Order: sequence, then structure tokens, then C-alpha cells
Amino acid sequence: MLTSVRGWSALVLNALLAAAAATALAAEPQQVADLADLSIEELGNIQVTSVSKHAERLADAPASIFVITGEDIRRSGATRLAEALRLAPNLEVARASASSYAISARGFNNTIDNKLLVLIDGRTVYTPLFSGVFWDAQDVMLEDVERIEVISGPGAALWGANAVNGVINVITRRSPDTQGGYAYARSGSLERGYGARYGGTFGESGSYRVYGRSFDIFNTSTANGATASDGWSKGQVGFRTDWGTAANGFTLQGDAYRGSLDQVNLVVDQNTHSSGNNLLGRWNRDLAEWGQLQIQSYFDHTERDIPGNFAEHLNIFDIEFQHGLRPIGAHRLSWGGGYRHGDDHVTNSAVLAFLPADRRLRWSNVFAQDEIALEHNLRLTLGAKFESNYYTGTEPLPSARLAWKPDPQRLVWGAVSRAVRAPSRIDRDLFIPARPATAMTPATPGLDGGPDFVSEVVKVFEVGYRAEASPQATYSISVFHNIYDRLRSVEPVSATSIVLGNKMEGTGDGLEAWGSYQAARNWRLSAGAFFLKQRLRPKPDSADSNVSAAGNDPAHQWLLRSSFDLPDRTELDIGVRRVGALPNPGVPAYTAADIRIAWLLQHGLELSIVFIDSGHVESGNPATASEMASGAYAKLKWNF
Amino acid sequence: MTKLARACAFSVVIAAGILCPRPAQADAQADEYRVKAAFLYKFGGYVEWPDRSFARADSPVAIGVIGADALADELAQIVSGRNVNGRPVLVRKLRAGDPIAGLHVLFIGRVDRGRLAEILAAAKGQALLTVTESEEALELGSMINFVVVENKVRFDVAPPSESDNLRISTRLLGVARKVVSKSS
Repeated sequence: MLTSVRGWSALVLNALLAAAAATALAAEPQQVADLADLSIEELGNIQVTSVSKHAERLADAPASIFVITGEDIRRSGATRLAEALRLAPNLEVARASASSYAISARGFNNTIDNKLLVLIDGRTVYTPLFSGVFWDAQDVMLEDVERIEVISGPGAALWGANAVNGVINVITRRSPDTQGGYAYARSGSLERGYGARYGGTFGESGSYRVYGRSFDIFNTSTANGATASDGWSKGQVGFRTDWGTAANGFTLQGDAYRGSLDQVNLVVDQNTHSSGNNLLGRWNRDLAEWGQLQIQSYFDHTERDIPGNFAEHLNIFDIEFQHGLRPIGAHRLSWGGGYRHGDDHVTNSAVLAFLPADRRLRWSNVFAQDEIALEHNLRLTLGAKFESNYYTGTEPLPSARLAWKPDPQRLVWGAVSRAVRAPSRIDRDLFIPARPATAMTPATPGLDGGPDFVSEVVKVFEVGYRAEASPQATYSISVFHNIYDRLRSVEPVSATSIVLGNKMEGTGDGLEAWGSYQAARNWRLSAGAFFLKQRLRPKPDSADSNVSAAGNDPAHQWLLRSSFDLPDRTELDIGVRRVGALPNPGVPAYTAADIRIAWLLQHGLELSIVFIDSGHVESGNPATASEMASGAYAKLKWNF
Repeated sequence: MTKLARACAFSVVIAAGILCPRPAQADAQADEYRVKAAFLYKFGGYVEWPDRSFARADSPVAIGVIGADALADELAQIVSGRNVNGRPVLVRKLRAGDPIAGLHVLFIGRVDRGRLAEILAAAKGQALLTVTESEEALELGSMINFVVVENKVRFDVAPPSESDNLRISTRLLGVARKVVSKSS
């Protein structure tokens, strides 16, 4: 089966490549050249299709969107994707150990968070094993990131199931924008790493980049000073090639990585191994009066072997298309569809089992969206996605969004949406301990996936306001009210058996706000905060006695950043964040800070020193969990 | 959906992409950024820079583009093999914060207002033609601002003052949608 899926995906990718090559050669440059030969008066009479409207959309989007720019990442000194996400005030990021993170938006934060959709250049990276992300496996070359769009709130009508409380969209720069090379090395008390990238061109309109990176993250310690033996190391290589332009071109990119993670295990003392590779092709075509078409396909292979627990080999094949039409009257339509195929193979242990060990998963979807200009400054966006999954069939995911722009500096928006978190393998196929019971685990109470587990559902009501108070100051504020139903609960069915059910419900209310202020030409300040009030309760027929374990969220958090350009090409960046106390398990509130000083030296050399002041547990039981230590590192980067 | 149905749907989409009719004439329709790129190239012919802006008689006209990579890509295609006032043309993609010294034309895409004001302030007095596509950009100091009116790309002009060290031909002012005088 595996080989046939692989063969099929290779076939489709080849077909895409051939089609793209054939059409790319056909037409475009001719037309561009024609335009340049027109007189300036004639140019003013050409009818245009507005792609830049799409670009403009981010600022005008009726949703709670925070954008982390590549420059923000560079100046933060973050060394991994999960660390860079700390820059988003609308995300909860708690590091649980040297390699694992709890990352979520609008609540339910834990290391197996399952209500966030994460995409890297259009590739969905959450695992169908538990609908969450292995953050040690999914990473990018941070230096080549264009921006990270962090959308808190539901994005299901566009992105599908799992975009329940947020979407993280990691977008790397096109290869024409990453020409030339750099190499860096950094070393410090918490980690060390090195990497390099080189970009060049080929043929008429082709460009490429290749990169490699490697790092070692040292062990963390617990509160009593004992080592957590959780250090890890990873190597990753990848490439990206682009032909043509963003609107009319083809992209082929891929990555391969391998990591080794120390683990303390009572049964065996062996490292966890994680590896994977992926290949993605994306084809954009400007169909002039027929609008804009995008077709994307990828293959993603991941492996994780946790000795003594389980091993998983997963192959994902995904293909999707999107078609945006030109406006027809007041209407601007877009539609699309996709198909996703997963072959999941688990090697079980006595501790836990996913049964059946091999599961073939399929998802398919169609979506349509209409953006209606009611007035010149009032837009209504109606959209719905219908997504079918292996476990529960077709789920409707509708949304309605209204945006009012009284003047160019202000936007008021509101939205009503329904989103679902479709079951993952952990909800249905999990058995702890493995069945049938072995001699080692005869009578311990077991935890089983629920054979009738269905999708968790949320209805979301949001309003927001974004404004440019002055040319120097912008801010955004949004509030939401989430109504949850059929949340995952833990139901005792006998003295020795617990089964996962859908008998929890509740609400989540919150406020997110952030802003930035250009205090002087060389001094930028930014701040952000969120407040969350979550009320979860078991349904009347539920026997779950620990609903607060569904997520461990602070009632509030805030962050401040200052970016200062000093004379003599010196940069000074300071970040401070405060995270409120977590209830269950109880983690005290903490404040952490980081400082980066960088000098741009001669000949493309850049030296930076980053200090991290922490020393707190961020996730887990404070008595036994890893403390995130204070430390520092120095980095030398050479651009050539 | 059966496998066959899926395969069929996929083939149709591919076929639609390849077979869709192309516009017969260039003047029928075009991508907005393609038209703006053509304008940007054309503007060079209507601007007089001081001689000291160029190191030599054959030094290129340097056009910088911030926050609109798609436009820069189109512009790069246009200028290859073409010239402005007998000079070759160089297109540079810039990031906010990159130095703008040595440029002759600077296009600033849809960046946020604070950043726009900052870039325009830095460009002042540099003998640099600034072109934008944001509402109220002329008030912030831009010289030419694109607007899309009834699906056509037009532009407003705020002619540079003495201190800008730059002159725009009156013929260009005649084509502009409107010409506003600078407040400062």
C-alpha cells in the first residue's frame, strides 16, 4: 500500500511539474513587455485584476491576526520556530522540557493541545495521531522566514477542521528573495548550533536556495537541581526552487530532518528518534479574466520511535486547489477543494497501543466564500467548508464576517463561526495498557479511546477593532465568546476502565490586545496582552471529575518589546513577558526577559549576544517539571 | 467520492488551468501590479534628476521596491533590455530598513502607515522620486500615489518642491488624475 501511495503521489507531482513547465513557457513575459511599450496615457486605460487587494487583505482582514515578521524574529534572537511564536501576544507558549512545548490560542493549553492548525508554506503539520504538533520535528530555517501569520479564533471556513481556536501560517521567503549566502554559528550555556544557506538562479526565471542546520539543546533541570535528561539534537536540510513570479509560477520545496532526544524511561534507556522528509509543489496561475488559480500537492513522511512506548510511521499525501474569481458586481467569489490521504503505521508496546495498528485515514473537502461589498466601506464575507473525515463523516464549517471601515485608519469587524475538532487516533484507537492485557499489566485501570467519540464543537462570536491612532501608533483589540460542546471528557465505566467521551461543555471568554509605537526613528515599542476566562463543566450524565485538566491556562499574560537602533550599527532589543499562574497543575506566575545586543561589523559579519533571564517552570507539575534556566549565547553570522 | 470521481475532478481542474483562453489583447485586462510596474518604468522618462545623482554618463537608473515583491518581479522583466533616458535600469528589492542611498526611484507598497511615514521622511531631499499606493500617502510626503478607479490604475501627483532636488515633467502632470500642491 505504502509504495502505491508513494507511486501515485510521485505521478501527480510529475504531472503538475510538466503542466507548470509547459504553461510557464507559453505566455507571460510577452504581455508584460507589451505593456511597457504602451504610452503612459494608454496605460491608464487598462482594466486590471486586483491581486494587490489580496495582499491588502491582511490589514483589512475581519479576524484577530497578529503578524510576526522575519525582522521581528531576527531581532528576538529566537533559535527555533516554537520560540519565535512567543512573539505573538495571542498565543500561549509554554516550554515543557528541552524539546516539548505546549502552544495554543484562546485556551486548552497543554503539550497535547489539539485545537490549533499549523501550516508551514501551506503544508499542514499537525499529526492525526493526536491533532497536535510535535514541535521538535516541525521547524524551519528562521532566517528565511518571510512572516508568520497568527490568527487566533476559528479559521475553519477557510482552513478546515482543527482550525478551532487558531491558525499559525508560517511563510518562508521566495527563493528570488534569498539569493546569496550566509553561515552562522552560535554557542552558549543552553544550546549551540550552526547552519548555512545559499541561493542562486538558473535558466530564464528560475531561482533556488539550499540550506542546512544543526543544533544541540542541553539538558534542563528540575526544581531540586536534578537533570531532566531531556537534551536533544537535530539536523535538517532543505531546498526551495521558484519559477516565474508569485502570481504566475511554480514552487517546489522540500526538507529532510533527523533528531535524537534523550529520555528517562523506566523500561528501557534509549533515545527517542524522530525523522521525516517532505516534498511540496505549488502552482499559481493568473487566468486573467478567469481569476487566479492555485494547485498544491505534497507528500510528507514522519517517523517517531519512542522506545518502550510506541513507534509511528506516517505518510501523508495531500492535494488541493483554490480558485479566486474576479469581482462580479459587488461579489467576489472564491472556491476550492482538497483531498488528503494518510497511512499511519504504529508499532505498539505493552504500555500502550493504537488499535488497529495500521490505519488508513482520508479527508476531503470543498469550500466556497463570497465577499460582498454592501457599501463602499462595508464588507460581508460568507464562507463555508464541508470537510469529511474518516471517523465522523462530513462536518459543515460555516462562518459570517462583517467588516466596516469608516475611514482608512480604522476597521471594526465582527464574526460568527462554527468550527470542529475532528477525532484523531488518540480519541478512538488508543488503549492503555495495550490489549489484550499482559502479565505485566493485568489489573491496572485502563484508559481507552471512545468507540463513539465524535467531533468537539465550538460556536464563536467575535468583535474587534483595529486602528492607526497616528502615523506612529497602531493597535488592535478583540473580544470573543466561545460556546463549546462535546469536549473530550474522561469517563469511568468500571473500576478498572476509563473511556474517552464527549461529555464536557462550557464557555470561553477573552480579550486580546496589542499595539506598536514608533517612539523615534530608531526606537520601536510594542506590547500585547490577553485575558481569558474559561468555564468548563461536565454534562449531567458525565462522571468526569477533573474537567479542569482539559487545559492549563493563565487568566492573563502580557509582553513588551523594545527595539532600539544605537549609533555605530548596533542593535539593542529587550523583551519582557509575564504569564499568570496556571491552575491545574498549579504553576506560579512568572516573568521572563531576554536581551539581544548585535553589532553589524565589516564584511557582512554580524555578532550578537542574547541573554535569557528565566528560571521558571512553564508547564507541568512544578515539583517534577523542567525549569527553563537563565543563560546566554553568542552568535556570529557571515553574509556573503 | 470514489477514486475515479476524484481523479476526474482533478483532471478537469488541471485541464481548465492549461486550456483556459488567454486574453486576446494586452489592452483588455492585466494584473494590477503588472500595470503599476509598467507605469513605474515609464515615470523615469518624465523625471529630471540632478547630474550628481549619477556617477557617470552611463550609470544606471536604480529603482528600489519595498513591500511589493510581485511588482519588483514584473518590473525586472520589463526593464531587461530597456533603458530610461539612455541609461540602463536596475531593480532592487528592498526590506524596510535597508539603505535607500543611491536610488533614483523608490516604490513603497502597502506597508503600515508608521513605516510609510518613516521611509518617506528618510527619502526627503535625496533627489528620489517616491511612488506609493496608499491612501493619504501624498500627505505623508509621497510624490506619486497610485489609485485604482473603476478597475483602472490612475495616479495623483504632488510635484516635488525645490528642496527635493528633482523635477517632474508637466506632461506627466497632464496625465495625472489630480495634482495636489504640497502643504510644506
